[in-house]
Amino acid sequence: MATTNLPNQPAKKGTQIHWGKVALFIFLLVFTIVYMSPFFGAIITSVRTQEDISVNGFWSIPTEVTFSNYTEAWQRANVDRYLLNSFIITIPALIGTIFLSSLSAYALARHRFRINRFIYFMYVAGTLLPFQILLLPVFLLSNYLGIYDTYWAVILIHTAFQMGFCTFVLRNFMRTLPGEIMDAARIDGCSEWGIYWRIVMPLTVPGIAAIATLEFTWIFNDYIWALMLIQNDELKPVTSGLTTLQGQFVTNWPLIVAGALLAAIPTVVVFFALQRYFIGGLTLGSVK
Amino acid sequence: MAVMSQDPLNKDQKKRPDTQTFGQKVGHFVRKHNLTPYFFITPPLLLYIMWVIGPMFYTFYLSMTDWDGISRNRETRRPEFEFIGLENFYDLFGSLGKVIPSAFEYSLYNNLVWLLVFITIPLVMGLGLAVILNQGIHGERWFKVGIFLPQILSLAVVALIWSWVYNPRAGLINTFLAGIGVAPENLPGWLADKDWAIWSVIAAATWRQIGYVMILYVAGLKNVPVTLLEAAQVDGANAWERFRYVTLPLLMPVTTIVIVISVIDSLRAFDLVQIMTRGGPANSTSVLANLMYIQAFNNYRMGLGAATAVVLFFISLVFIIAYLYRVMQDELEY
Amino acid sequence: MKKSFRISLLLTVALALVAVLSACQPEVVEVPVEVTRVVTETVEVEGAEVEVTRVVVETETVTETVVETEVVEVNPVVFNSYSSDPAVRAFEEKMVAAYVEANPNSPVQHTIVNHEDFKQAIRAYLVAEPAPDVLTWFAGNRARFFIDRGLILPISDVWESEGWNDDFPKGFRAMSEVDGEAYFLPTSWYWWAIFYRVSIFEENGITPPETWDELIAACETLDGAGLIPITIGTKFRWTAAAWFDYINMRLNGPQFHLDLMLGKESYTDPRVKAVFEKWTELFDANCFIDDAAAYSWQDAVDPLNQGEAAMYLMGQFIMDPIADDIEDDIDFFRFPIIDPSVPIGEDAPTDGFFIAAAAANPEGAKDLLGFMGGVEAQTLMVEEIGRLPTHNGVNPDLFTEQQQKGIELINGADMVVQFYDRDTTPEMADVGMNGMMAFWDDPSQIDAILEELEAQRLEIFSE
Repeated sequence: MATTNLPNQPAKKGTQIHWGKVALFIFLLVFTIVYMSPFFGAIITSVRTQEDISVNGFWSIPTEVTFSNYTEAWQRANVDRYLLNSFIITIPALIGTIFLSSLSAYALARHRFRINRFIYFMYVAGTLLPFQILLLPVFLLSNYLGIYDTYWAVILIHTAFQMGFCTFVLRNFMRTLPGEIMDAARIDGCSEWGIYWRIVMPLTVPGIAAIATLEFTWIFNDYIWALMLIQNDELKPVTSGLTTLQGQFVTNWPLIVAGALLAAIPTVVVFFALQRYFIGGLTLGSVK
Repeated sequence: MAVMSQDPLNKDQKKRPDTQTFGQKVGHFVRKHNLTPYFFITPPLLLYIMWVIGPMFYTFYLSMTDWDGISRNRETRRPEFEFIGLENFYDLFGSLGKVIPSAFEYSLYNNLVWLLVFITIPLVMGLGLAVILNQGIHGERWFKVGIFLPQILSLAVVALIWSWVYNPRAGLINTFLAGIGVAPENLPGWLADKDWAIWSVIAAATWRQIGYVMILYVAGLKNVPVTLLEAAQVDGANAWERFRYVTLPLLMPVTTIVIVISVIDSLRAFDLVQIMTRGGPANSTSVLANLMYIQAFNNYRMGLGAATAVVLFFISLVFIIAYLYRVMQDELEY
Repeated sequence: MKKSFRISLLLTVALALVAVLSACQPEVVEVPVEVTRVVTETVEVEGAEVEVTRVVVETETVTETVVETEVVEVNPVVFNSYSSDPAVRAFEEKMVAAYVEANPNSPVQHTIVNHEDFKQAIRAYLVAEPAPDVLTWFAGNRARFFIDRGLILPISDVWESEGWNDDFPKGFRAMSEVDGEAYFLPTSWYWWAIFYRVSIFEENGITPPETWDELIAACETLDGAGLIPITIGTKFRWTAAAWFDYINMRLNGPQFHLDLMLGKESYTDPRVKAVFEKWTELFDANCFIDDAAAYSWQDAVDPLNQGEAAMYLMGQFIMDPIADDIEDDIDFFRFPIIDPSVPIGEDAPTDGFFIAAAAANPEGAKDLLGFMGGVEAQTLMVEEIGRLPTHNGVNPDLFTEQQQKGIELINGADMVVQFYDRDTTPEMADVGMNGMMAFWDDPSQIDAILEELEAQRLEIFSE
């Protein structure tokens, strides 16, 4: 029986048809298509005109295929600017959070000191915090610092909040590095900073790549902080910009959906390009 | 397992103490008191205290005030409010059990429903899909990508797409149902219907989550040693028994993580509700995070909003402590 | 002092971060700057202490962090607006363009935020430092709330210098001032009415209902013809409040309505319950579109555009999303009379602008406001979006037939109020509209809902 095959075992004879697998394949195919139907539906809607859909309904054959919704979303609805802002926010926050986390991760993984465990557990607990409870004070803080309604406010809160998870993952990653190399470097007179920067960091690159991919999508996809801390339309990232779009083109679903799909492109590209790291990141954070 | 390395520099302490330069003296001091790690942890820690820990305590403080969110002292520009103790909490919990459920009651209930659905459905479906995909199905990679794709989309995008899917007149589902002959009066209102709305929102959230859980299980299944399964097969265990008694127990760590992630994500739910329904109709899709936002920014009750946040914090705390306990046990094994 | 402390605090954190990030590093430049200081010293002259003030010029090196967006020579006027709907947006952009053209040295940073988001975000705007300079807002209680908290800049001087005290009808000055000081600039107002498709009425032999019974009859006819009698989108709740306003005013008179809004009447008063009972008659006659809560008010215009729905109780701004080719097919009638012995009340909200108390550029803001309240800008508004102007100087010949009719409608009223969420407090409006939504969902719950509203009223108005 095909279904009793052990996982990951290649079929014993290529010529033999495993009906169980065929059934599973068909099941998966149907499931995946149904599962992705909102996504496909969105794509189909986005290349049609509002008029065509409202006259003929969604389930009709499109009278014409047009990319004007995309060009209009891109230009008139400011999606180009929103996307740029998303990058301006995401990249510094990403670099900042990973760099700072790697500092504390190194100390936590490689040094014994009194409050080591305490700090570690604090970051782990912070990872799980429902961040909405920070909303009001962070708004007041950024206002107090005079960086409300600037990129800095969003960059700093992302840098700080994401540190919990990054520290957790990187610390566990660094613990798996062989301690002998570091000891050897110390004996050779390498400074602590040198050990961190020249030895530990290069060895941690796979871990960093994984977590960076994951963090990129998380920060890029943030909605609430941008909603809260940025009001100027010129500075908004694409997530909160999209709701402006929704306000501006209220009933023009093709255009709104086209904007939403444009907004999704960067994370989808990052996912496909760095898929291995991405999944590595997910599992790093969970399966130790 | 990596063993923490002894700091070998401590042994150098007695080397030529008299000829030290100032820099060396500092170095000596740092090593003697083992200050090195503090240099590494301090900068990130400062930022963390400033933006995460500090604000958390400030929320606790605000929850005991009657601040409206905009009143300020005209000279000092400091928020102006009165300390009212636990009154906000009395307000919240006093609103429970009314004939017309209060927004807070709906929020507690919805967070709970969200939590239960979010734990069970993605876990069962994610595990099921992972097991199927692990059979070595043709095109397995593409199925994984397809099912995982929603997870990459931001919640804002998911909310917009599903708002359209649920639109009673023009949406994907109702136009489909109408197409297969369902009478217009029988078409559900989805987000407009008080009985359907929260389930509709949770369905969209679940849609995004299943792929994530599936990927975690796929990775977990790769770590199940084939030799164990073979041994079980030799012992006469059938497919179900092998799954139940070998695979499943070995997946326990993944399951724990999935549960933790699901709990936390469901308590954090905000974006979907904010964009899809704003908590409506008649509060029926309100969740704590949204209620807090509405109280603070719609109704000028920053203090009450903070109190709602504190309730949310304590609910999370139960799960955070449970998880910390587990992490600590792992630590003790080192 | 405070400011420099803040900046240094910020810089410490920012620089600690930034030092290593080459990609996002702002340019840090050391600039020698001549600093002029006024120094007050106490000098002892012949046993007596004398304060000497002198001017000291020093050169010092100042570290400046240059952030690209901040390199602007002239301080622009920051204008945040909720006019996110396409037609109003287009008008506002035109108006700002006209201002900038006339005043090339006064740039305006015009930000349009999603209307519903703006209503929540304004709390943040007003306490931010600096706050935006000019903001769109609603006249009446919703502005009063901010005025009471010192968040709005007094602009009596602008009223004076622009001559608005004479050129605006007295009522507009009255709704803009507190204790004799003007804070608000009303620029537009509009009427509420039931808008309908003329052709659909004709095809079904309906004449615009003048009484409640005729309205119910119209619903029954339209429903029988397979049409949606009345469309409405209640996703953001306030559209439903219009029905409450009108039924209450037609049944109990506008004075009772206003007293209820001000917290002087009880929600458990049988007269309030009667409003909801009257409302239930509309549900029973199948008047409303299904699943109203799924739609924003604009979504709900679609069935009207597509000829599937006949009526919509809405402000004049409904004309914005009405398709061009059916604009001529849209007319409106006064909300039907329920009890002819009751004085007639109408909803006629007024919108406008104000300057935030914490504005960075109050002078520029006042100049912009002066333009917005002027004849040129208001004429543009009348032409572009058909709202009614507040300035007497706008040529009445410009008014379309529809606008004339709207003015008549308001002139025929015994009393004019603003709107539910403008006439009562923000908190009461929130719980009140939630109550209406709960009622819409299950009309049999009236008693429990009203008891809850009453409990809230007592709490909210106790202060």
